[in-house]
Amino acid sequence: MQFVQQMINGITIGAFYSLVALGYTMVYGVLKLINFAHGDLFMWGAYLGLTGLNFVLGLMTGASAWVILPAVVVVMTTVALAGVVVERVAYRPLRSAGRLAPVISALGVAFILQSLARNIYGANWKTYPTGITPTGGFQLAQGVRVSVMQIIVLVVSFVLMGALYLFVQRTRTGTAMRAVSLDHDTSRLMGIDVNRIIGVVFLIGPGLGGVAGMIVALYYGSFDFTLGWVFGLKAFIAAILGGIGNIPGAMLGGMLLGIIETLGSGYLSPQWKDVIAYVILILILIFRPTGLLGERVAEKV
Amino acid sequence: MYKKLAFLFLVIVLTLPLFTGCGGDDEEGPIKIGLQGPMTGDYAYEGQGFEKAVKLLVEQTNEAGGLLGRDIELVIEDDAGDPTQAALVAQRLVDADIVAAIGAYNSTATEPASEIYNDAGLLHVTPSSTATGLTQKGFERFFRVCFLDDRQGLFAAQFMKDVLGAQNVGILHDNSTYAQGLAEHTKRYSEDMGLNVAFYDAINPDDQDFTPILTNIGGAGLDAIYFTGYHAQAGLLLKQAADLGLDMTWVTGNASNNPEMIQIAGLQNAVGTYVTTEPLPKDVDYPEARKFVSDFEAKYGESPDSVWWMMAAEAFNVIRYAIEETESTDSKVLAEFLHNEAKDINGLTGPILGWDEKGDREGTIHVAYIIDANGNFVLNPEQP
Repeated sequence: MQFVQQMINGITIGAFYSLVALGYTMVYGVLKLINFAHGDLFMWGAYLGLTGLNFVLGLMTGASAWVILPAVVVVMTTVALAGVVVERVAYRPLRSAGRLAPVISALGVAFILQSLARNIYGANWKTYPTGITPTGGFQLAQGVRVSVMQIIVLVVSFVLMGALYLFVQRTRTGTAMRAVSLDHDTSRLMGIDVNRIIGVVFLIGPGLGGVAGMIVALYYGSFDFTLGWVFGLKAFIAAILGGIGNIPGAMLGGMLLGIIETLGSGYLSPQWKDVIAYVILILILIFRPTGLLGERVAEKV
Repeated sequence: MYKKLAFLFLVIVLTLPLFTGCGGDDEEGPIKIGLQGPMTGDYAYEGQGFEKAVKLLVEQTNEAGGLLGRDIELVIEDDAGDPTQAALVAQRLVDADIVAAIGAYNSTATEPASEIYNDAGLLHVTPSSTATGLTQKGFERFFRVCFLDDRQGLFAAQFMKDVLGAQNVGILHDNSTYAQGLAEHTKRYSEDMGLNVAFYDAINPDDQDFTPILTNIGGAGLDAIYFTGYHAQAGLLLKQAADLGLDMTWVTGNASNNPEMIQIAGLQNAVGTYVTTEPLPKDVDYPEARKFVSDFEAKYGESPDSVWWMMAAEAFNVIRYAIEETESTDSKVLAEFLHNEAKDINGLTGPILGWDEKGDREGTIHVAYIIDANGNFVLNPEQP
């Protein structure tokens, strides 16, 4: 029965990794840039969610789960706009400067965002207001328990990921996005406004990341300014594992990493889980360098 | 050619500081005292508290005319709780000609720093690093005002056996020098007392999710579990254990002695958790302690909630006392005084009986607290 519980634990952690991994994968898809600032935009989602919640709670009497909705809207728009600003200020001027400069610029933005959060909100752990998230859960069997929050997290994650997938596959903007990810110049010749599409990617990726940050904070109840570092790194790895640039790959990679880590800490020890997780990661990459669902890009001359 | 010259010039400029700044205390100007602690990072709450506590005393001392007719200047460095950073800032403090150093917060950071202060021959007092190994290196000028992990381990084992009546106990640490040391001592004493240590493992403190190991803990059939790590992780563990429906008594070590743990866990999940620790500022009933607490409240508008802030103040007071009594700023004289002559001082955290030859504070003041329904740490009515 412990195995079932460990799978539930792993899928929950995996869902968070997947949500954050989407942001890495989308940006990589269109720009071939690893947006290291993504983890910290995600962390800002948690902080802005806290500010938003406290603001809304201050306007009304009594706590209810509905206050989460306006806060989510605030977080999504603010972090999405922050993402666009980051792209405009730190990435676009460097787009023709080779591969290395934008990566360093991204790292710089990550440090700036982290320090800003620490200086504005303080270094101590922040706690979300209590009484707004549903408590309780279902005892499925002796030693197997699923909380209401876990179910909500999973449903919300899958809905968000599904919506994103449909958006990219079925809409005109999504099609343009896929075109841009193949070739900027050809897309431009086909009449696609490449800068606009990149802008849209930097709206959606960080927007989703911000919401993910808020969900993580609601789920765990507390966090500090290092949140983006831990989740960002793991999600980045998940994106590579699934095949960076590939949206279903990010979902698969996140889930897989969450489950492998959990089984590693559950059946060996948390001290060994990273060893196990990364041995598996290296093995997968040796046999599939493009990740599990990554497309093999044939270089045609 | 000019490139080579420029390079040579650069090398000279960069290495110049190595040859200066080693002068030591020049007996003029202010007496510089160094404070290193985690002003940022995971333990920033404690580091910033160190700063507040020591600053308050420095100001009070200077207003009262200083020490030996000289002002005290506090030099503060941030080590972020990180061992690499700790060594770096310790060197920076040595270069700033301090006469004594206070810090660091966590044992992992204090360890490398103590090597550097020892090499520089400086008096070094740690407020809060309790790893036993720190005083086993023969450093003659290293002291602590807190108590050793092995005393707390003994106390924790006694508490689980005698007060909780536990048979099967679990011990969980976080792989930090301090937490692992405390866990090992507790394990040894528990086994000596005939308790069954049915679970012993460590978490990775960078994680946010501990449900995998908690699931194992739930399956181990424990009466009580002792977590020796820090308060943020303790809070997350309590919350996630409750979410998983685990039903066992949690006891935490003195690094969890912090109201933030209750906030992070959520009050309903923290109620009934025990904490083994030095007594909190409010429970220390000495005039010196009461005065410090009220001065602190007057200056900062908050009370010194963490015992480690008090310990930082204590560390400063010990250094000040030694300088006053010996009328010297020579670390050798100060250290000999603390080893041999400093006995029965009225400390902020309780009577200081003295220090043994290794620099460990003598006696013990550990007690068990329980978190009550209002989220307060109250002295547990039953003590071993």
